[in-house]
Amino acid sequence: MNQSKKLGVQYLTASIVMMGALLLFGLLASIFYLKYGFLLGKLDFNIVKQVHINALIIACLWGFMGAIYWFLPDELGIETVGIGLARLLFWVFVAAVAVVVVVFIFVQYGSSDESGMWLVNQGRKYVEAPRWAAVGIVAVFLTLAYNIFASVAKARKVTGIMGVLMTTMIPLIAVYLIAFPAPTNMSVDLYWWWWLVHMWVEATWELMIGCILALALMKLLGTSRKVVEIWLYLEVALVLGTGILGLGHHYFWIGTPQYWLSIGGIFSALEPLPLLGMVVHAIYDAGKHQMKTHNKPAFLWLIAEAFGNFIGAGIWGFMMTLPQINLYSHGTQWTVSHGHFAFYGAYITGIIAVAYMVAQESRGIREVQGNAWKWAFAGLNIGMVGMVGALLVSGMSEAFIGRALGGSTLDGFMASQSNSWFMQGMIARTGFGVIIVASYFILAWDLLTLGRRSEKLSPALATT
Amino acid sequence: MPESTAVVFEPGAGDPRFWRDGAIATTAFMLLVLLLLTVDSLRVLTEGGGGNVPAYTVINQKITYEFDAASNMDKPVIGGEELLFGHRYSEAEAKAIMDKGKLVIQSRSCINCHAFFGNGAYYAPDLTKAWLDPTWEKMWMPMTQAKTREDAMVQFLMHPDRYPTWARQMPNLNLSEEEARAVTAYLKWISSVQTNGFPAGFGRREVAR
Amino acid sequence: MNATWLLPTAILLGIYVLCAGCYGLVYALGRLRESRKVTRTAYGFYAMQGLTTLLLVALTPLAWGWKLFLVACFLVYAAIPPITWRQLERTHALEHES
Ligand code: HEM
Ligand code: HEM
Ligand SMILES: [Fe+2]
Repeated sequence: MNQSKKLGVQYLTASIVMMGALLLFGLLASIFYLKYGFLLGKLDFNIVKQVHINALIIACLWGFMGAIYWFLPDELGIETVGIGLARLLFWVFVAAVAVVVVVFIFVQYGSSDESGMWLVNQGRKYVEAPRWAAVGIVAVFLTLAYNIFASVAKARKVTGIMGVLMTTMIPLIAVYLIAFPAPTNMSVDLYWWWWLVHMWVEATWELMIGCILALALMKLLGTSRKVVEIWLYLEVALVLGTGILGLGHHYFWIGTPQYWLSIGGIFSALEPLPLLGMVVHAIYDAGKHQMKTHNKPAFLWLIAEAFGNFIGAGIWGFMMTLPQINLYSHGTQWTVSHGHFAFYGAYITGIIAVAYMVAQESRGIREVQGNAWKWAFAGLNIGMVGMVGALLVSGMSEAFIGRALGGSTLDGFMASQSNSWFMQGMIARTGFGVIIVASYFILAWDLLTLGRRSEKLSPALATT
Repeated sequence: MPESTAVVFEPGAGDPRFWRDGAIATTAFMLLVLLLLTVDSLRVLTEGGGGNVPAYTVINQKITYEFDAASNMDKPVIGGEELLFGHRYSEAEAKAIMDKGKLVIQSRSCINCHAFFGNGAYYAPDLTKAWLDPTWEKMWMPMTQAKTREDAMVQFLMHPDRYPTWARQMPNLNLSEEEARAVTAYLKWISSVQTNGFPAGFGRREVAR
Repeated sequence: MNATWLLPTAILLGIYVLCAGCYGLVYALGRLRESRKVTRTAYGFYAMQGLTTLLLVALTPLAWGWKLFLVACFLVYAAIPPITWRQLERTHALEHES
C-alpha cells in the first residue's frame, strides 16, 4: 500500500476511536441532567460537554482527512507529494489532541488573561482548544492543502472533483483563523464566530464530504466521472446558494440589524430544497444499481447519509428556522436536537461509509460479510432517532414553559427544567445514548476485525 | 435515442463546465451580498456606534427592558444615572473592566453551561438579560444580605456553592472579587444590547415553579 | 407568535417538510418501478403538504410575508422531484453515449 493510503487508514482509525470519546463524554454529560450535584466541583458539566463537542469536531476532521489521503493517489495516479511531512504531523496532531484533553480534564480553568487563552482554554464554543493547539491545527491544515495542491501540480491533472476540493481548503483555513481573536464585544465576537461555525458545517464541510462521497460513488457503484461532476457542481451551487446567506439564521438575536430576520429566514428555509433532490438521487442510484455492490454496509451508510441529511438538517432545521418560532426555540434542547441529528446525518454517517470502503479495500476483502455491521447500523440509527426525538420533546416543552410562558428568566428556566415532559425526554435521551454507545462498540469491533476474522471462520459460516 | 436528443436541446446541460460556471457565479454573488451586509452589520454592532450596541459606559446608567408597541418587540431602555458599585466609570475604566469580564467568561468556560444571546449551552439559564432578572431583588439580595443588586451578584459569583437552591447548582469557579466584579459589569453592559426582542417578555411573564 | 400556537405551528412546519420528503421519496420509487399507482401515492403526499400549507396560512399567527413564502415554496417543491429525476436520466444517458 502506498504511503498516502496508509496515512488515510491511520486518520480514519483515529476518527473512529475519537467517535468513542465523543459518545462516552456525551453520555456522561447527559447524566448531569438526571442527577443533582453529579461530579460537582470535580468534573463540571461545562468541561464534560466541552470535551464532547471538541471530540466531535476532531472526529469529523480526522475522518475527512483520512478519506482525502486515501482517495488522493487513486484520483491522481501518483503518490501524494510531501506525504512524509503529513505522516509526521499525524502523530503530532494525535499527541496534541491528547494533551489538550488531559489539560481540559485535569487543569480545567486557566487564568483570566492572555496566558489562560494560550495555555488552557479559550472558552469559545467548539473552538475551546488553547491557542498553541490552534496554531498546530492551522499547520496541519496548511500541510493538507500543500499535499493536495502539490500533488495536483505534479500529476498535471485538475479533475473537477479536485478543483472543488482544492477550493474548500481556502475557507477551511481562512475561517478557522477566527478561532484566535477574542473581541470584548460579545456581539462582534459572535458575528465572526458564526462565520467559522456555520461556514464550516453548512458550507465547507458539506462540500468536502460532497467531494469525498463523489469519489466514493465512482468506486462503489462505478458511476461515470462526467455524471458525478455535474452533480457535484450542482450541489456546490445549491449548497452555497442557500448556505452562505443561510448564515442569517444565526444573526437573529445577537444585536444585528433587523433585516437579518428576513434574510436568514428565507435562505435557511430554502436549504431543504437541495436536500430533497439528494433524496431522489439516492433512490435513483439505489434502484438503478439494484444494490449490486460488494460492500453493502458502505452503501447503506451512504443511503443513511442522504436521509439523515434531509431529516436532520431539513425537517429539524426548518421547524425552528422562521424567526417567529426561533425567538422561543433558540438556545433550548430543541437546538440540541437539531444539532445532533444534523451532525450525525451529514457527517458521521458519511465517515462510517468511507471507513467500510477503506477497510474492505485495504484488506483485500472481496465481499463484506457477517452480521455485526447490521446490528451496528440498526442500533446507531435507532438510537440516534430515539435520542433526537427525546430531545425534541424536552426542547419543545422547554420553549413553551421556560420561554413562551416563563419569559426566559431564571424562574422560567428552572420551571421548564423540572417539568415532567422535559425530564422524561432527558431520561429517554440517556437511555437511547446507552443504545448508541453499545452499537458503537459493535461498529468499532466490526471495522477493526473485518476480513481478519472471517478468514478464521469456516467457509460455511463466513457466507451467512 | 430520445435521451441524447434531450441533451442536445438543453444547451450545455451535458457539459460539466456549464454547471461549474454556474456554481462559481452563484457563490461569487452570494459572497458579495454577504460582504456588503457584513460592512453594514459591523457598523450596527460596534459598541457606542449608535447602532444596537451601547458604549461600555452604559454601565453608569439605569437599564430596563420594555415592550415597544411600535416595533412589536421588547427593547432595552437606557435611563438616567445609576452607578455600578457606586463608581462612575470613565471610558477607559469601562473598557478595562469589560476586557477583564470577557476574559473571565472565556477562561471559566461559562458558555459551556450558560448561553449569551442564546448561544452556548443550555444546562443553565441564558445570561443575555441576567442583570435584569427579578430574582436578584426577590431572592438573592436577602439571601446574600447584600444591599445592592451588584453586590448580591458578586457574592453569588464568588460562592455559588453556598446558595444551593434549585434542581441544578453552579460550581465554585474560584473567581476573585475583581473577577466577579468584572463579570457583573459585563452582564450589566450586555443587557443593554438591542436584540430584536430576544428573549421575549423577559421579566414580564411568570410561570409557577 | 403566541404561546398557544408556538408548538402547533412548529409541528405543522415540520410536517410540511416531511410531506415534501415523502413526496420526493415515493415519487422516485414510483418512477423506478414505473408504477402509476406509486406515483399517484406520491402526489397524495404532495396534496398533504398542500393541506399543511393551508392550515399554516389559515390558522397560525405567522406574519403574512412568511405565509406567502410558504405558499411559494410549496409550489416550488412540486417541481423538485420530477426535475431531479429528468436530470438524472439525462446525465446518466451521457454515460452510455461516451
Ligand atoms: C451517547 C450519545 C450522546 C449523548 C448522550 C449526547 C449528549 C449531549 C449533551 C448532554 C450535550 C450538551 C447539551 C447542552 O448544552 O445541554 C451535547 C451537546 C452536543 N452534542 Fe451530543 N451526545 C451524544 C452523541 C452525540 C453525537 C453522536 C453527536 C454528533 C454526531 C453529538 C453532537 C453534539 C453537539 C453538536 C452538541 C452541542 C449542541 C448544542 O449546544 O446545540 N452528540 N450532547
Ligand atoms: C449539515 C447541515 C447542518 C448542520 C451540521 C447543522 C448544525 C447545527 C448546529 C450544531 C447548531 C447549533 C449551533 C450552536 O448553537 O452551537 C445549529 C443551529 C441552527 N441550525 Fe443547523 N445545521 C445544519 C443545517 C441546517 C439547515 C438546513 C437549517 C434550516 C433549514 C438549519 C437551521 C438552524 C437554525 C435555525 C439554528 C439555530 C438554532 C437556535 O436558534 O438555537 N441548520 N445547526
Ligand atoms: Fe447554521
